[in-house]
Amino acid sequence: MKWSVLIDRFIAFVLVIAGWQVCSIYFGPIWFSSPLRVLDRFIEEARSGDLWFQTEYTLKAALYGSLLGGIPAALLPFALRRHPVASAILDPYLVGGYGVPKLALAPLFILWFGVDLEPKVALVASIVSFLVFFSTAAGVSAVNAQYVSAARVFGATERDIARHIVWPGAIPYVFAGFRIAVPYAIGAAVVGELISANRGLGFLVQSGATDFDTTLVFVALTTLTVLVVTINLFVSRCERWLLRWRPPQQRLAAGAAGA
Amino acid sequence: MTAAPPILEVRGLAKRFPPRSGQASSPWILADLSFCVAEQEFLTIVGPSGAGKSTLLNILAQVDDATEGRILFRGEAIRTANGTQLKPGWNCQIGYVTQDDNLLPWRTMIENVMLPLRLQGRLDVGAKDRVAELLRATNLIGFEGYYPHELSGGMRKRASLIRTLAYDPPIILMDEPFSAVDAQTRAHLQQDLLRLWNLGRKTIIFVTHDISEAIALGDRLLVLSKSPAKVIAEHPISIRRPRDLGNIYKLEGFGDIFECVRRALQ
Repeated sequence: MKWSVLIDRFIAFVLVIAGWQVCSIYFGPIWFSSPLRVLDRFIEEARSGDLWFQTEYTLKAALYGSLLGGIPAALLPFALRRHPVASAILDPYLVGGYGVPKLALAPLFILWFGVDLEPKVALVASIVSFLVFFSTAAGVSAVNAQYVSAARVFGATERDIARHIVWPGAIPYVFAGFRIAVPYAIGAAVVGELISANRGLGFLVQSGATDFDTTLVFVALTTLTVLVVTINLFVSRCERWLLRWRPPQQRLAAGAAGA
Repeated sequence: MTAAPPILEVRGLAKRFPPRSGQASSPWILADLSFCVAEQEFLTIVGPSGAGKSTLLNILAQVDDATEGRILFRGEAIRTANGTQLKPGWNCQIGYVTQDDNLLPWRTMIENVMLPLRLQGRLDVGAKDRVAELLRATNLIGFEGYYPHELSGGMRKRASLIRTLAYDPPIILMDEPFSAVDAQTRAHLQQDLLRLWNLGRKTIIFVTHDISEAIALGDRLLVLSKSPAKVIAEHPISIRRPRDLGNIYKLEGFGDIFECVRRALQ
């Protein structure tokens, strides 16, 4: 990356922090805390291990939920590819399911699964699964028909075609789905904790706000932001490694779209 | 040439696509198309653009179905009038090199070349030696680990060509395989093709709209009419092999055939 871009980014960062500081001075730190207070508190909470204690919980909910919802959702389009009747039957229900506001299901999940990690995992899974499913399904239907036809001519079975052509061709779409899902997964875990929890970053936001401890709220929010960005970076890295066969300009376009 | 038994026989082939909604019927693409190909013959087919040449090869490769007619492979019907289920490539007996190279972008060049062998479970030492020989013959040594997008257009063509040659089907169909490359690369590819064909003679059906290419490569040339396509002329090409494609225009017989074909196509 060019130096000028990095410098401009740094300037933008300074402006945001300065704006925050101005708000803090103008409206009072009780409402806005201040960048320095948040940094101090962040270090303090991180040192005591309490921040990690809360982060771990949220991260667990997001991770388990993403795997539980995302993996079957990434596999389902492949199973449906060879069964047009089944996919025609399922289609309206999948579209309808996508339309349901999942966050509104949180009370139901609490009713079913209690107040520990399980309802959060369920909430995350319900959101991630639809995002990953529709993205993967788009990839499966975008398979290059010419590759399939050529492979049939040289003796590929349906299984070979799924493994050597449809799957590798759909991987970019699977990744796009997961990359989009990351902030939603963290968000769903946090909402679950806001509603009922005694642990997690969502709980931290909630308890901070009830105590008028805005600094704590901002510490939690900052941690969440860092978390999402870090996970996204990790997913992008994995993707770049798995898709190293792609021409550079295509990779760049995908990166720009996903970032 | 006529003494050799035909490996592939096409009788009264006709094709039209299902009518579009709102249309009573659709036009015929192929009509009453018949010809034979002998064992180890290099048959070239020329026809005007849009004459249904690709449709014909798709039917021969069993990627698409004909509306009427019969196709016999070594005397055995691979298509009957009531059209059973298609078997693309007829159990790996019919290879098909299409206009696009269709190399899988997520596989390296060598993985692409070996994929048919791998899928057919024939990737043994002998097959690997054969692939190595083909790579040498086409100057692709050293590029095995490259992904398709890292190769030049000519290299991709050669890779797609030897991908089919490597698994050694008795018949190879070629659909204007060299149409998308520049003239110079094209001349190289034609020479490569003839050299490969000399290494192990197979039956090739090569479709093109370029008359010179058809004459330069083939043993026999068929001319197709405008759509609906049928065979309107046939020319044996007796130019001696090995042919020097650089000087093909000066060789005896080239000009006459060229003139005849050109007139037939008008």
